[in-house]
Amino acid sequence: MVYISAWDEFVERSIQLYRADPESTRYVMKYRHCDGKLVLKVTDNRECLKFKTDQAQEAKKMEKLNNIFFALMARGPDVDISEVTGKDQMDAQPTKKGRGRKQ
Amino acid sequence: MVVLQLDPFLNELTSMFERSTAKGSVWVTLKRSSLKSKVQRNKLASAGETIEYRCLIRATDGKKTISTSVGQKDHQRFQSSYATILKAHMTSLKKRERKDKKKSAETDKREGSSKKAKKV
Repeated sequence: MVYISAWDEFVERSIQLYRADPESTRYVMKYRHCDGKLVLKVTDNRECLKFKTDQAQEAKKMEKLNNIFFALMARGPDVDISEVTGKDQMDAQPTKKGRGRKQ
Repeated sequence: MVVLQLDPFLNELTSMFERSTAKGSVWVTLKRSSLKSKVQRNKLASAGETIEYRCLIRATDGKKTISTSVGQKDHQRFQSSYATILKAHMTSLKKRERKDKKKSAETDKREGSSKKAKKV
């Protein structure tokens, strides 16, 4: 088990993992307030994907992943998730990030 | 494990978050489930009936476990209230944006002055 550092990779691989075996894949969120840490885990008991963060910004992205999994699990693995993912795009952020790094 | 209706579940989840601020964690698990045992599922399958799946939601703070489930019709309402609760309680995460704004303001100033310097 390794933590995946890139958010997009985590999302993509966890959806893949779920679709491969919808009935035995679970999505777990762990939040620890005193340490300010958030850990997301997707596993089918054979493979385990994890993502760890302490950034509020990532929690916003998590909200979208939550919606994806709610849709996938309540409506079925074949549901079109593009309507969930495409609603509000988070792509506006990278420009800000770029600015910060220039320093 | 206690199976709750949606609103009592959300209330209990809120108090779990409130109780674990000083120490402890909260876990929330989402899983696709038929809420039936293997035997029951096999029976239904052999009878040719379709098995209805729902999204099972479990939450624990390490001491107490609660659960609920949402189906096709009510998951949207649940997921928005769930998101609201998360937003209200995940307040100890770092806010990078605010720092970024300060940083970017500084770099803008610096960049501005360096450009001027180059021109001169």
